Amino acid sequence: MIASLVATLDKDIADLSEIVSRISCIPGVELSDAKAVTHRFPVMIDSPDPDSLEEITRRLQQIPGVAFVDVVFVHFEDESDSVPVTPSGKPTCL
Amino acid sequence: MSRDPEPRSDALQRRDFIKASAMAAAAAIAGGTSFALPILADEPASGVDWQKAPCRFCGTGCHVQVGVQEGKVVAIAGDRNAEVNKGLLCVKGYHVGAALYGKDRLTKPLLREGDNYREISWEEAIRTIADRIQAEPNRFAFYGSGQWTIPEGYAAQKFMKGGLSNNHIDPNARLCMASAVTGFLATYGVDEPAGCYDDLDACDVLIMWGNNPAEMHPVLFSRVIDRRSRGEKVTLIDIGTRRTRTTEACQHYLEMKGHGDLAIANGIAHLLIKNGTYSQKFVDSFCSFKAPDDANPNLHGKTISFDEYKSLLEPYTPEHVESLSGVPAEQIRMLADLFGNPKLKITSLWCMGMNQHTRGTAINTMVHGIHLLSGHFGTPGNAPTSLTGQPSACGTVREVGTLSHALPGGMVVADAEHRKMAEDIWRVPPGRINGTAGHHTVKMWESFCTPTSQGGDIGTIWVQVTNPGQTLPNLNKLFNPKGDNKAGLEDKFLIVSDVYPTATTRLADLILPSAMWVEKNGMVGNSERRTQQWFKMVDPPGEARDDCWQTIAVAYELHKRGIEGMKDRDGQFLFEVRNADGAAVPIWDWEHYYDTNVDEHLFEEYRKFSRFKHKDLAPYGEYVKARGLRWPVVETNGQWRETHFRFAEGFDPYVAAGKEIQFYHSSTHDDRAQIWFHPWIAPAEVPDQDYPFMLCTGRVLEHWHSGSMTRRIPELSRAMPGAYAELHPEDAATHGLRNGDRVKMESRRGSLVIPVWIDGRGKPPRGTVFVPFFDETLLINDLTLDAVDPFSKQPDYKKAAVRISKVPS
Ligand code: SF4
Repeated sequence: MIASLVATLDKDIADLSEIVSRISCIPGVELSDAKAVTHRFPVMIDSPDPDSLEEITRRLQQIPGVAFVDVVFVHFEDESDSVPVTPSGKPTCL
Repeated sequence: MSRDPEPRSDALQRRDFIKASAMAAAAAIAGGTSFALPILADEPASGVDWQKAPCRFCGTGCHVQVGVQEGKVVAIAGDRNAEVNKGLLCVKGYHVGAALYGKDRLTKPLLREGDNYREISWEEAIRTIADRIQAEPNRFAFYGSGQWTIPEGYAAQKFMKGGLSNNHIDPNARLCMASAVTGFLATYGVDEPAGCYDDLDACDVLIMWGNNPAEMHPVLFSRVIDRRSRGEKVTLIDIGTRRTRTTEACQHYLEMKGHGDLAIANGIAHLLIKNGTYSQKFVDSFCSFKAPDDANPNLHGKTISFDEYKSLLEPYTPEHVESLSGVPAEQIRMLADLFGNPKLKITSLWCMGMNQHTRGTAINTMVHGIHLLSGHFGTPGNAPTSLTGQPSACGTVREVGTLSHALPGGMVVADAEHRKMAEDIWRVPPGRINGTAGHHTVKMWESFCTPTSQGGDIGTIWVQVTNPGQTLPNLNKLFNPKGDNKAGLEDKFLIVSDVYPTATTRLADLILPSAMWVEKNGMVGNSERRTQQWFKMVDPPGEARDDCWQTIAVAYELHKRGIEGMKDRDGQFLFEVRNADGAAVPIWDWEHYYDTNVDEHLFEEYRKFSRFKHKDLAPYGEYVKARGLRWPVVETNGQWRETHFRFAEGFDPYVAAGKEIQFYHSSTHDDRAQIWFHPWIAPAEVPDQDYPFMLCTGRVLEHWHSGSMTRRIPELSRAMPGAYAELHPEDAATHGLRNGDRVKMESRRGSLVIPVWIDGRGKPPRGTVFVPFFDETLLINDLTLDAVDPFSKQPDYKKAAVRISKVPS
């Protein structure tokens, strides 16, 4: 699963390089070669499984200085089909 | 000696290409550049065909680009050309494509036989429904949704009101935004917001009234956060009954008790007048005053003078408001000072907190009222705006009028002139439309769940695109009064069209598999009056079919049987469609449904209604070209132009020159809006000795509404696997509870056992609990209250008295 995000950074971040290094420490995350010239930061995630995509997004969101995370692009063709999780809702013949 | 690198496999090259495209997309959005993105520009090498569609989930109405390869949706990207989201999506955007591919999609019509279901043909399914309707046409009801597309809702509306002369059609949106409708009608004489999302880019102050956009409308919230990150000064104020993710981003949090909003609004108005900071010019020029007419309760109320309004507000001093609402007097003064400052631009946002309220109409009018009183109206950034939770609560429910009292375009069945206009557009014989409103949602389900011998006058309900078995309040009364035992209700028959099994299909007698989102053509209308369109991109699985086709096929079956209502004045089928050569297209036959664009035919007929209340819609083809257009869309010099701000000169083409502001659908017929006084009234149920906690229900970021789609997405389901009860740490300590312990929660209507979450995402104050409703295995609506607002008939899901006790592990 390949996805890209935009992290919106707080206005008053003291140390951009600290945020950059914390983001790049997250496994599966790649940063753009372009420097963060604005308060918005492009991030690409190559995630081995769907769980880690969500987890990475959460970790990003929790980095001090990251105000918000938006999704830009999602490619999921490699994904296996999702599974039913609501057995109580199944008609009895299924 | 150097060696040539190993040739990379096609798969790896493709993966690299996708990664490069993903990064390019994010970099372009982040940097504000406008170069063509390879994957978004139909790059032939990608093998992916990209088309536009609005997101399937919430009422924000973000546009996505949908990537299709070999008949399957494989990728989603935020649509950079869309004004709503400017290329961004919330985390649910990760899953909007995958929502199509849950393994347990319904693929065959299923007929209940005892405790089991038998697969049947579509022909048998259509005949079964027609039999039920033919036998008892007046005991049939249609229960729809704000997820119906505009053509789907329009077809259902015409079938019921223009065909069967039956007004028992109502949508789930009755449960989420009916009070917003009555609030707009009572204030401006016409429904839907004057402003739009552009206000979020222009306001200096954003007040969220019982609203949590950080989780429920994240893309809109991010738009405001982005402004702050760019160094703009925007003051965010959260008025709520519990701390949420929205609170974390706000400079001010005003924690109120249930119904505290009524007192706060009166407190602000009281101070504006007392301090002389209201806008006398705006009030004198554009407003009148109203108070409830207790002897004859109605949406028009009784006219009062400014002095009467002032004296009614006199008791609402900041200190009195503090005692009623729990919000400190200082914070009431702070709000009044903001509204009293004409230099500031103030936008108010609200959603379920103000709508799911037994005084929902009142609080909606009162928030409009303080904007009008202070003159914070009619310029960009100055707007009272309600948000919707479903993708077409506005487009299909409010505009098509799929409510039991309504007709398309803002007309109502009770008005003989409106009925005649609708009969003329539908070309049905005069008198076809019934002048009496049908059952609203709560009444419809109450009647369905009441034995016929005891007056339950609804025998068959057809549900499309919604899940009332989970979302109705007081489920033990309104959906499942006998558990799985239908004793006394054997003659009742429930038909459910859906894409997945749900809490509703569990009790269905007939289940119909439906096509979903880009498996069909569609049009929807979002929270800011924006009508959006998309084309079918992939086939639905198995025998799943469009809801609109299902309605038309049943209508045709009745037509074949000679049912008079299925004919128009000329004896033609109600949904007759002719191709460019004038030949009838048999759209009731699935094999021919896509021989023509049924959506376009229905929309072109429907848009004739839109002129009546100046909600003008453009021709279908304009929506094909655009990422949505906000009505009224009016043709000027050959161009179809949308309207950003209604009632304001220079923006709204229907405002006469020199008027500045003109409420041209004023209920007092003098171009004035109504500023309402309503007294504070306690909630319908308050905690007492037996039930000492106030229960509030709501949504979570990971799941969309009842979770029937999002709970099938493993990553969302794992991130938020089940419902929980949020509790204040001190209340938890009093009950000897730790995180994960289970409690029995009971109201006067039902009970459930649920784990507790202390200091979780949301933080309710002492004496209150919060439970989300997305989990069909923990039906919190067994406990909620079915008391409704007297005008909107919308129930209050935010205030029910409960008690809790620890369940031994
Ligand atoms: S904010 Fe709503 S419309 Fe936008 S991507 Fe999220 S769920 Fe979809």
